[in-house]
Amino acid sequence: MEIYLPIADMSVQWIVILGMGLGVGFLSGLFGVGGGFLLTPLLVFYGIPSGVAVATTLSHITASSMSGAIAQWKKRAIDFKMAGVMMLGGLFGTGAGVWLFAIMRRAGQMDLVVSLTYVPMLGIIGGIMLDESIKTLRAQARGNAPARIYPVNHVWIHGLPFKARFRQSRLYISVIPPLVIGFLVGTMSAIMGIGGGFILVPAMIYLLRMPTNVVIGTSLVQIIGVAVITTVLQATNNYAVDIVLAAILVIGGVIGAQFGVRAGARLRGEQLRLLLALLVLAVAARLLWGLLVPPSDVYSLAGM
Amino acid sequence: MRLFLLLACLMTAVPVQAEELVSGVSQDLIQITSNYTGSDIVVFGAVEGQNQNQGGNHGPKDVVVVVRGPDADLTVRRRDRVAGIWINHDAADLSGMPSYYFLASTRPLPAIAPAAILARYGIGVQSLRPDTVHSHHDYEPFRQAALRHLTQDHLYSEVPGGVEFLSDTLFRAHVPVPAGVVRGQYNVEVFLFRGSAVISAQSTPLFIDQTGLERRLYNFAHNQGFDYGLATVLMAIAMGWISSLLFRRPV
Repeated sequence: MEIYLPIADMSVQWIVILGMGLGVGFLSGLFGVGGGFLLTPLLVFYGIPSGVAVATTLSHITASSMSGAIAQWKKRAIDFKMAGVMMLGGLFGTGAGVWLFAIMRRAGQMDLVVSLTYVPMLGIIGGIMLDESIKTLRAQARGNAPARIYPVNHVWIHGLPFKARFRQSRLYISVIPPLVIGFLVGTMSAIMGIGGGFILVPAMIYLLRMPTNVVIGTSLVQIIGVAVITTVLQATNNYAVDIVLAAILVIGGVIGAQFGVRAGARLRGEQLRLLLALLVLAVAARLLWGLLVPPSDVYSLAGM
Repeated sequence: MRLFLLLACLMTAVPVQAEELVSGVSQDLIQITSNYTGSDIVVFGAVEGQNQNQGGNHGPKDVVVVVRGPDADLTVRRRDRVAGIWINHDAADLSGMPSYYFLASTRPLPAIAPAAILARYGIGVQSLRPDTVHSHHDYEPFRQAALRHLTQDHLYSEVPGGVEFLSDTLFRAHVPVPAGVVRGQYNVEVFLFRGSAVISAQSTPLFIDQTGLERRLYNFAHNQGFDYGLATVLMAIAMGWISSLLFRRPV
């Protein structure tokens, strides 16, 4: 059955959209990833305008990050002060991103921006995941534990001014690195429709040296904050948020995430991680294909 | 039923001297709702009076029905290969093209009248031209691309043979109104041709309006963007929160 999306201005098979929400929600529950980096290109492949896809995916991220954040909050594993500082950076980053978004959309280059930013991002993430899961699988086959990489000590970060105490993280560091990280992730959220967890988590562990037990909860709070700010800004400035599309994605997303979490508790993750890596690389290849292959019609129509 | 009564009235109408057109539309207001998947309207009419056979106006009579949607501003973009990748590289803004154009005729257009006459009355998809153009060079390829895309989307169409004569004087044409049409005032124009010349024409307005939830959401998004964004966010947060209550997992 078809349903009309008022902002995307098109009719879609709602069951397909619900399936995308479910599938990506399942993966996010299974692997603890937000899934924006998969959902945005999937929506674009289906024919949703890139701008609407980018701006609406963030609602899906907000909803599926909520239950995780609540669970972490109950465990008192959230550094709200750190999340607040990063969100402040995120606020400015999002503002910059929404502004860039408007410029690029007016120039008719939103599709290009999505493809050009996603191909390297997905290529790198997929590549690293593939590499890691193959190494782990080999190591398991040989019967020894996988080698872990330990973070190098970034001394220069500890030399920056404006130090503040983050009690929950047991850190006394400058507020500049979390502000910058928040800014960058906020900009990426607005332009690419991602939560940015896959950047936030390693940055918090390796750059800020936060204890791992507060990293997940704090990054989820930061992701929700940025997604909320971005959604409101995109709706106010670019009229790019489709509430009907968002509702279908969110329903699929929250249900899928619950099944993903359950499946994750029972399944051995390595083979699945390998599959996810291949899926991510396939999406990157499909986007690259769209950039390189001559289009069937070089002319396209916009407006009305 | 209404259609029948009207046709009956038309048939019993007193004939006048010169040939003249009388036409009507089965519906003058179409409400597009959320589950609208397209519909049909009927344009009907009659040719009254006698063919006076003067000034070479012999030949068979032809009727052309044209439905024009409100004017739209179109941006046509062209992709080119730049540094190995295909990007939107060139664009032309065409304004004043109809957003919807449907044509039905008794015979194929070239058989009815020469192109110059057709163009004068805006008859035929190929005769549609923008009022103003913003383009760096010749806009003709962009216009052709717009015509092609709109035809593919069933927003522009021509149906030769779409006007059928039910009797010597009564005619009828079905006009599809697809789901993707914009709201606003449409014009139904009926032309009577004899011997390559328009001898009578009539124009009737037709209103298409969107109603229902979708329309309200669209207005909400565009008039109160901030509140709309906030509503979307609250919806997402509430659903995420509810789901974590419903599916409380044993930790």
